[in-house]
Amino acid sequence: MTDMTKPVVAPPGSIVSGDLMQLLYRLSAALLICIILALLNDSFLSLGNILNVLRQTSLLFFIASGLTLVVLTAGLDLSVGANVALSACLAGTVIQHTGSPLLGVLTGLLAGGIVGLLNGVMVTALRIPSFIATYGMLWVLNGLTYWYMAGETIHGFPPGFRQIGSGYLFGLPIPVYLLLIFLAIGTAFAQRTIWGQEIYAVGANPVAARLSGIPVARRLLLVYGVSGTMAGLASIIFLARLNSAEADIGESLTLPAIAAVLIGGTSLFGGVGTVFGTFIGALILTLVLNGMNLLSVNANWQPFITGVIVIVAVWLDMTTRRHKL
Amino acid sequence: MKPNKGLICIALPLVLSATFAATARADGETVAVFTKNQTNPFFQTVRVGADLAAKTLNAKTLHYIPTKPDSIPEQLSQVEDVVVKKPDAVVFTPVDYKAMVPGVEKINDAKIPTVNITDRSAGGKFIAFVGADDYNLGLDTGRYLFKALGGKGSVVIIEGVKGSLTSVDRVRGFNDAIKENPGVKLLASQPGNYQRLQALQVMENLMQSNSQIDGVLAANDAMAVGAIEALDGANRKAQVIGINGTKEAVDAVKSGKLLATGDYNGFAQGCIGTMIAIRTLRNQPVVTEIVLKPTIITKDNYQPFDVALDARTCPTWDEAAKFATK
Repeated sequence: MTDMTKPVVAPPGSIVSGDLMQLLYRLSAALLICIILALLNDSFLSLGNILNVLRQTSLLFFIASGLTLVVLTAGLDLSVGANVALSACLAGTVIQHTGSPLLGVLTGLLAGGIVGLLNGVMVTALRIPSFIATYGMLWVLNGLTYWYMAGETIHGFPPGFRQIGSGYLFGLPIPVYLLLIFLAIGTAFAQRTIWGQEIYAVGANPVAARLSGIPVARRLLLVYGVSGTMAGLASIIFLARLNSAEADIGESLTLPAIAAVLIGGTSLFGGVGTVFGTFIGALILTLVLNGMNLLSVNANWQPFITGVIVIVAVWLDMTTRRHKL
Repeated sequence: MKPNKGLICIALPLVLSATFAATARADGETVAVFTKNQTNPFFQTVRVGADLAAKTLNAKTLHYIPTKPDSIPEQLSQVEDVVVKKPDAVVFTPVDYKAMVPGVEKINDAKIPTVNITDRSAGGKFIAFVGADDYNLGLDTGRYLFKALGGKGSVVIIEGVKGSLTSVDRVRGFNDAIKENPGVKLLASQPGNYQRLQALQVMENLMQSNSQIDGVLAANDAMAVGAIEALDGANRKAQVIGINGTKEAVDAVKSGKLLATGDYNGFAQGCIGTMIAIRTLRNQPVVTEIVLKPTIITKDNYQPFDVALDARTCPTWDEAAKFATK
């Protein structure tokens, strides 16, 4: 995947190019898991469980979709989980003190976005490698959140606000609508806008991108800002779904988000990948847990099985794509 | 400090202030308190208890908390720090009861008297151990749930971090309580890793494959509350119990959402552990082991737990000594 011959623009996984087969290839691992689970357990294919899995996928997808743009530029954002924790705690405080869900949502998005922009500034203006900059940010955010929360838990939000996480509209959970909306926006942005294409170009070859007149620093600032804002959105969904937040909620979110991006076929070396692929990655991770719960797999074996399935899923994806190309 | 107790008894304060003039204050001993992390509300209750006990006895506390939660290397380096700074005593919660034994031995070598609280260390020398009994907490909260269910029904267990001492013992207690009730059927025992979100998702998934769940046994409060949110979201009802006795759980018991939570007594552990450390320095009699009896917090007895942490008072030494198991 590191080959020098990869196209500067035109990502190979583009689903809006209309290539249905390509989409099926990308889905193959997820479909295989679904077929196996459907054969093993009657409840798996029920409408209730499908909606359940999609709702569970949403939180991970929000974090991972913003992160996808960062990885497309050959960067990484390790601070997303810590960002979710801080944004959730701040948004939760605002909702409890003002009673206004709207102010809370704005606080969460703003806090997440500011953190993201700060990451962007470190990467562009200060030229700190993104891995280090966001790793440092992770600790700064953890420190702030631990200090701010002092071991407390914020809990109890107005029912109206909690609808964002647990409500239904025409039979579909509201987080699933948000998932579909952001999947569409993310895909359209990355594949159909000039800014999106420029992001691919920056990741594929930053020097060529700069020489061809792309404002590299501004595009980088944009992707880190978007990644942070999506973490802020995830924090709102977290609050609305869990009705509470504490300082340590982020730690278990970062690695799965990175995994979802990479399982979805986005290259760590930049320039290759899609938001839709990331959705599939998040879906696979969620399906595995869902399946293990439904089948009552012994807790001792769950980490092992998760690991094996992740490896097989990526191998399958790579093989089918190689076959296609 | 063990020989010539009678002599030191009178001279101790003088000796201390002379010997440790550089590090310890003359007006009170310094106790280094080690806890596992800054994020779990339980350890906050331990720290508040320790601070309060020290303040009452006119001593000082110095807190050592890994910035990365439950980090073994970080706690080890904090131990090295303490060995250099030489506080008068240490109150110690190992982040890992086996891996921290070399750390405890370093404190032993530096001849700093140490009290072990919360998780019993697998090795090293301690003046005393103060903790709660995870197995009995699991057993008693389980029994309470099954009594509420009339000794029958279908239940699920949400386990904590696999391999952690607390989770293993609590889940063993849950399972033994189930064995006592032949009418209770265990549908599933799945991991929630002590995390709220994971417990919510586990519960959502288990509800898909089980149309009737009467009871939920969660190995900590955050997971119990996560399970309740999942039940609410699906418009289903089940009796839920948790463990730790956090503020959030007490609120949920008060509002009737949570059936009960087993009190892990962090506050009392912090109080008594620190009291033993200071009493040892002052050559007052101590006990060598206190395993606090599980208290089940329910809607009938939650009131004493429904107060702000810093408004609580430590047990007196006479009260604490009554819990002595050795």
